[in-house]
Amino acid sequence: MKPDREKRMLWENPWGYTESFIIGIGLLLTGFALEMFVGRQSAFELVFPYNLYIFLGFNLILVILYKWFSKNQIVRWLLKVPASITSIVLVTFMVLLMGIFPQINSTNALVNTLGLNHITTHWAFLLIIIFFLTCLGLVTIKRIAQLKWKNFGFVLNHLGLYLALFAGIVGSGDLQRLSLDTYEGSPSIHALDMNNQKVELPFAIYLKDFKIEEYNPKLALVDNEKGELVHNNGKNLYLIDSGKVYNFEEYHVRILKFLESSGRIENGYAFVNEQGSPPSAEIEVINTKTKDTVKGWISSGSFRHPFESLKIDAKYSMVMTIPEAKKFSSDISILNIDGSRIETTLEVNKPYSYKGYKLYQLSYDDAMGKWSTLSVIELVRDPWLPVIYTGVFMMIAGAVYMFWMGNKFKKETK
Amino acid sequence: MTWLDFPLFSMSIIGLWIIGFIFLGISYKKEQFIKWSFAFFSIGWFVLIYFIKDLWIELDRPPMRTLGETRLWYATFLPLVGFLTYFRWKFKWFLAYSMGMAGMFLVINYLNPETYSKTLMPALQSPWFIPHVLVYLFSYAVLAASSFVAIKGFIGIRKQKFDIATIQLADNLVYIGFAFLTLGLLFGALWAKEAWGHYWTWDPKEVWAFLTWMGYLIYIHYRYFHPQKNKQALTILALAFVVLIVCWFGVNYLPVAQASVHTYTQT
Ligand code: HEM
Repeated sequence: MKPDREKRMLWENPWGYTESFIIGIGLLLTGFALEMFVGRQSAFELVFPYNLYIFLGFNLILVILYKWFSKNQIVRWLLKVPASITSIVLVTFMVLLMGIFPQINSTNALVNTLGLNHITTHWAFLLIIIFFLTCLGLVTIKRIAQLKWKNFGFVLNHLGLYLALFAGIVGSGDLQRLSLDTYEGSPSIHALDMNNQKVELPFAIYLKDFKIEEYNPKLALVDNEKGELVHNNGKNLYLIDSGKVYNFEEYHVRILKFLESSGRIENGYAFVNEQGSPPSAEIEVINTKTKDTVKGWISSGSFRHPFESLKIDAKYSMVMTIPEAKKFSSDISILNIDGSRIETTLEVNKPYSYKGYKLYQLSYDDAMGKWSTLSVIELVRDPWLPVIYTGVFMMIAGAVYMFWMGNKFKKETK
Repeated sequence: MTWLDFPLFSMSIIGLWIIGFIFLGISYKKEQFIKWSFAFFSIGWFVLIYFIKDLWIELDRPPMRTLGETRLWYATFLPLVGFLTYFRWKFKWFLAYSMGMAGMFLVINYLNPETYSKTLMPALQSPWFIPHVLVYLFSYAVLAASSFVAIKGFIGIRKQKFDIATIQLADNLVYIGFAFLTLGLLFGALWAKEAWGHYWTWDPKEVWAFLTWMGYLIYIHYRYFHPQKNKQALTILALAFVVLIVCWFGVNYLPVAQASVHTYTQT
């Protein structure tokens, strides 16, 4: 480590923070100028095999720079902490812009001209990321080349980040995210990509059954005039179930009967199991102040049947909320051109991998709720994922190492 | 075993832990009492494990569907990480913090019986969810502690009585806290991949989490290269903590928060 040295002229060896920031700000301004006068670049959308060439070519250049040009002024500068810190600060600055300006279409002319609402595809971001990766890559190569065990943690962290970040960026052009609407009882083969273009899949998906498990509906108090839910002192709403007793403000509520699936009859509800039969409950509400008692039925309704609330006094009514999904899943068959088929179940958080695609349970027809016969499946293809995950798991190992070692190293070398 | 038995169990656990706390307090004066503290913390912990095991068998599924259930897991893993950190770094305050947090989650469950059944949306029902939240809890605690140390350092510099041990402690805390922060970020990414199909989407919360991470990264590298410039390093540390606070509390108030997946508004 270098002690602070005596005065040194600008651009005199070795370059420090001043030079680093001049260069860094130069890159930043160049980026903004390109953004304004050249317009959108598509470097982040490079597709195979060009992104692979870039990835390998860049790595090769860094190795060459390190091996044969390490005496060069610029390479020496790039290998030192001031350049790295500058690049980290500049990346932070760009991301800060992202954290301040919403990354959506803007009506503000300045935001549009400067491209502040699409930082991830901004020229300045590209240039600075290249600067950042150069610093990170070179210092990683340097430490790997030293072949010392004490660099183990360093290499895990720096190489891990390098791989995850670099592969994530160049790989984003190969990332394919498709959404496929499947209907019970029929095969689907045409998916839509992110730009709503039709894409034919190399296999078809047949939805056998879409299933939802729901939580019980919740009980809520509604203001008759405003029609809004009354917040129960910040507490959560109560789940409805037979025999439960709850207190809302001065009201004492007893749930006499809960029917998961029911239909309206003359003076109440009875069990019915049909398409669109909503849940219902018979409740008794006692006002503990006035001792008034109200008894009656409430129902959340469904796409088929209206909801029903119970007016308990001039001010409030009791309602039943629409049940929330606890779990939803699709039983599907994947049909191949050669006639073979695979049966599987997709569930949220439990995707299925097939032929380079990952299949996710995405959504369903909300309005139909548990009677939905539509299941939306997302198909994601990300051929760079193995590289990215290699980096991610190296960083995880690096973090564990860091936790265990603390900053011991520094104390020893000092 | 069901939630009906929970008040009995949670109160016994809390009771045991309180005794553990008392011994931990005494151990600042008389070191040998730390053993008693460990003993009571551990017995309480085993009672908790026993409860979860039976609840799991009773429900016939991992108890990870409701908010009350996830709190049980927090209460289980917090002591574990606290102990691990204690055995490595001997921070008693950190052990106290993790036991205190774990106890707090038990108390929340005890006081809000209705949240036993508060629903958890399917995307949150992931094995990555609990580690993701937990390591963040730890990282914020350790990094907050590093900021207190930084304040002590500033005062030291002002009074011209700066002790090098202060900034070394800050360093160590930042390394540990940063390790947890990295894990939190990466577990979040792995979870997002399983749940939403992509590991990183520059969602506002992700943006600010990344900024926090970068802030501490600057500190680490600055310290490594300029071990003598204490004041500047402490300033960086203070700034990084400001970003952390924004990330923790402030993101929801920023104009960018409109479309964040991380703001779960419950109706
Ligand atoms: C996962 C993120 C990172 C972690 C955990 C990390 C950690 C560290 C640590 C602990 C050191 C001290 C050296 C040692 O103990 O051996 C160090 C040094 C260094 N890091 Fe990082 N770092 C990270 C990312 C970066 C990035 C993004 C850059 C550049 C853009 C960078 C550039 C450097 C440089 C130049 C050194 C000095 C190495 C030398 O002089 O040999 N690091 N880093």
